[in-house]
Amino acid sequence: MGLLTKKLILFGVCGLIAILLIVRLVQLQLLNQEEYGRESQKNAVKTITITPARGLMFDRNNQIVVDNRPTYTVTITPNEFDTTKYAEVSLLLGIPEDKLREELAKIKGTNRFNPQRIKRDVDFKTIAYIAENEKHLNGVDYQVESLRLYSDKFRASHIFGYVKEISEKQLANQIGDYYKQGDLIGVKGLEKTYEDYLRGEKGYEFVNVDVKGREIGSVNDGRDDIKPVNGSDIYLSIDAQLQEYAESLMNNKRGAVIAMDPKTGEILCMVSKPDFDLNVFSGPTDPKILSALMTDKDKPLFNRVTMTNYPPGSTWKMMMGLAGLASGDITTTSLISCPGSFVYGGRSFGDHGAYGSINITRALEVSANTFFYKLALQMGLDNYHKYSAMFGFGKKTGIDISDELPGRLPSVEYYNKVYGVGKWTQGFIVSLGIGQGELGVTPVQMVAYTSAIAMDGLYTTPHFVRKIVNSNTKEEIYPSFKTTKIDFPQKWYDAIKKGMYLVVNGNGTAKGIKNSLYTLAGKTGTAQTQGNNHSWFVGYAPYEDPKIAICVLGENAGWGAQFAAPLAAAVMVRYLSGNSIDSFDEEGVKIFQTVD
Amino acid sequence: MSEFFKRFDIVLLLISISIVTVGLTAIYSATYTGDSHSAYFSRQFLFAGISLVILLVVTYLPPKTLIKFSYYLYGLSILLLILVLFFGKKISGQKSWFSVGGFGIQPSEFAKLTTIMALASFLSNDENENKLNNLKNFAIAVLIIALPVFLIMRQPDMGTALVFMSFIIPVFFWAGLSPYWIIAIVSPVIIALASFFGEIYFFIAVGLLGIGLFFLKRNYILTSVLILINIGVGFGTEYAYNKLAPYQQKRIMAVFDPTTDPLGSGYNVIQSKVAIGSGGFWGKGFLQGTQTQLKFIPEQWTDFIFCMIGEEFGFLGALIIILLYCILIFKLINNAYLCKNRFLGICCIGFASIFLFHLFINIGMTIGIMPVIGIPLPLVSYGISSLLSFMIMIGIAMNAYRNRNIYI
Repeated sequence: MGLLTKKLILFGVCGLIAILLIVRLVQLQLLNQEEYGRESQKNAVKTITITPARGLMFDRNNQIVVDNRPTYTVTITPNEFDTTKYAEVSLLLGIPEDKLREELAKIKGTNRFNPQRIKRDVDFKTIAYIAENEKHLNGVDYQVESLRLYSDKFRASHIFGYVKEISEKQLANQIGDYYKQGDLIGVKGLEKTYEDYLRGEKGYEFVNVDVKGREIGSVNDGRDDIKPVNGSDIYLSIDAQLQEYAESLMNNKRGAVIAMDPKTGEILCMVSKPDFDLNVFSGPTDPKILSALMTDKDKPLFNRVTMTNYPPGSTWKMMMGLAGLASGDITTTSLISCPGSFVYGGRSFGDHGAYGSINITRALEVSANTFFYKLALQMGLDNYHKYSAMFGFGKKTGIDISDELPGRLPSVEYYNKVYGVGKWTQGFIVSLGIGQGELGVTPVQMVAYTSAIAMDGLYTTPHFVRKIVNSNTKEEIYPSFKTTKIDFPQKWYDAIKKGMYLVVNGNGTAKGIKNSLYTLAGKTGTAQTQGNNHSWFVGYAPYEDPKIAICVLGENAGWGAQFAAPLAAAVMVRYLSGNSIDSFDEEGVKIFQTVD
Repeated sequence: MSEFFKRFDIVLLLISISIVTVGLTAIYSATYTGDSHSAYFSRQFLFAGISLVILLVVTYLPPKTLIKFSYYLYGLSILLLILVLFFGKKISGQKSWFSVGGFGIQPSEFAKLTTIMALASFLSNDENENKLNNLKNFAIAVLIIALPVFLIMRQPDMGTALVFMSFIIPVFFWAGLSPYWIIAIVSPVIIALASFFGEIYFFIAVGLLGIGLFFLKRNYILTSVLILINIGVGFGTEYAYNKLAPYQQKRIMAVFDPTTDPLGSGYNVIQSKVAIGSGGFWGKGFLQGTQTQLKFIPEQWTDFIFCMIGEEFGFLGALIIILLYCILIFKLINNAYLCKNRFLGICCIGFASIFLFHLFINIGMTIGIMPVIGIPLPLVSYGISSLLSFMIMIGIAMNAYRNRNIYI
């Protein structure tokens, strides 16, 4: 083949490619110019998102407990940003240059034309610098946004929870497309449960921009703009003063307190200690503090009210009494002999003393173990499971904060699964009778069960929110929570309640908290653990007309009467006296005795 | 004076300077921030001047010197390509840059130039027109190209690696490889593409290939083997595609239909089509393109610079720039044709193929007929390494014109 032929072939290839490109350009620029022109016009409209303020939270006396404060957020619009200014912005905001680049690189597509949040809660000096250097720092801007402001008197960290910048996973999994990168979303506590109400609805402003990206006026005189809707306020059942008091009593302790109105299920206070400062999560979170919280051996992020799995000890005995009455194994007057110890299957089970033949009321008063060992054996595991489940054990209560666990209520299936069919004996049920063994409960289950006894079988779901008020329309929503009636004969409840009355006011384990102001009823418990025992108390007051039910758990704090009972009594007295009586000091028990 | 122009390719120089000027204008507009020109513009302007001087120096070098240096330069390029894998700066997952005193140096851009020179040197060291039809020589020629391709794929920069594939056929064709073998090399690529579009296209392609090969050389055994290999490639392509992860398949599909991935790889294509399409016949005017000035296309002063030309200078501007490139490529081919020195001739053909491939892929991707492959628009896109290396190519082509009547 001659060179001339080769040259002509190559000319031909080049010519063909040029013609192909030109034909395509004719199609784009001459035939479809109008369509693309419209598209490019649309691109010249900038959408400005306005994030509304989150709804506030009020306590039962309409005091603000979670407020907002205005803060400055620095934003960068990636397509306007001059990439030679990375070093300067990095220095200004204290964000490493690499990280800044990485953040901006993550932003894809049309989001590059809208301001993206880079740093929240920036001080005024930085904002002043940005404002002065507006021209020079193209694309760097700021907006006023609100962040959470909390009371300095109490923490209630596990109740309120917190918001966090939405994660990539949450963004991908969201239903719809409301959330955008950089938005805040409730991830714990009430902030999470009521996210849809608290967040409000974002607003949008549409502005025309000129070729230099400058805003040159609103589109359609702002008629197409969508106004933001502020978040709805939520009114809580907690009593801020009681919360503060309960937290002060639990200071430097490990454990949980939860008190509720047994008639409605409204939670009056809830404490899980140790806790954490919510301000850590409001605004930019310091990763060092965060990792310290996560690795703390006392687990401050762990909600001890809703997530523990401890045996309840003797506070379980009312449950056993009710189950025995319901299964027909005892009546309110049946006597069981309690000689001081109990032997089953060659193993001896201990007791605090010898009580002779006693009925259920007396057995509760003196916390006789033998009575309940025998009762448990007699009723069998099926009855044990069936009636305990009726009082909410082994499942979540449905409290309106997330991260609740169901505890563990052993059943035949459970033992078959753990030990294998035929590899466990009825002897296993003996310790279950006194609230030990594999049984695991949470304080919120315990307070709900105590309330149900106090209310003669009316089981209400513990909850925080009483009403939600739309800040725009002032429309009120009353969330409803499940209430069930556990329909047992009145005299069964009377026998159980009488026992709880005598624990405090008779010759029982909590007689130290007896006082002349309010008639308290309750039951102490001591959960055996590897280390020091967990101290439990459940109770309610006044005995005649219950207004408060409570559960106190002290981790490794000794026996029930030692730690939990006086603390619970102090909280109940505080509430019933309209937050006026402080009956607690280090030897708090004595105050009640002197009153007597 | 006319004696001077007999040996000085003034047309090629003027065309090149025009294209560089269009490039500087485009970079000015694409990086314009409202009050003054950007650092990109001044840097490119400075290097346009420097590279023009280098171009003229190259024009006047004796061809013997060029031939002598070509292997050394090739060796140096290979060394730099190895070093960049270890000491290069990682930018968006690729290690293809050295950072020297604030400037980015991209060895793969220079490797395009030096690989062609080394190849030309090898193919011209004796005057054997049939050299490539010998298997050993063929293998050496392929190896000269394969070495930098391998290193560039390690970066990994598939776009630039593809550029090296683009000049194999034209250079081998020019250097005397028989059409039978040319078809044998090209056919697997075409078959793979055809099988991707569907079985019918695949069978048509295999049929045409068979007819073509039998027509060119009636060696039935060899031809049958080649056809069998091609059928294997066809099925292998489908098998490989099905083996890909869904996101990889999605990326391939986005080439054919960018709307399937509007926020990912399809985004740039959608935006650049809007930019070019909205330019119309006359364009929106210098600095008046809304797409360009609002920076809808990331890094539009590099690979997507053609958007700015299409939007602000319209169809007229785009047509002119494409015609300028056509004249430039025609000149390169014609210089190869005129030049009696085999080395310079092969160099010119290699450079012409590189220019044409860049032109086709780069403009093709901005108007949505080619996949998004990150290679620059020659002499126009921002990038000092590519500018310098393309200007040296022009210099060698001018050298070829100058010495067109000298054999060695």
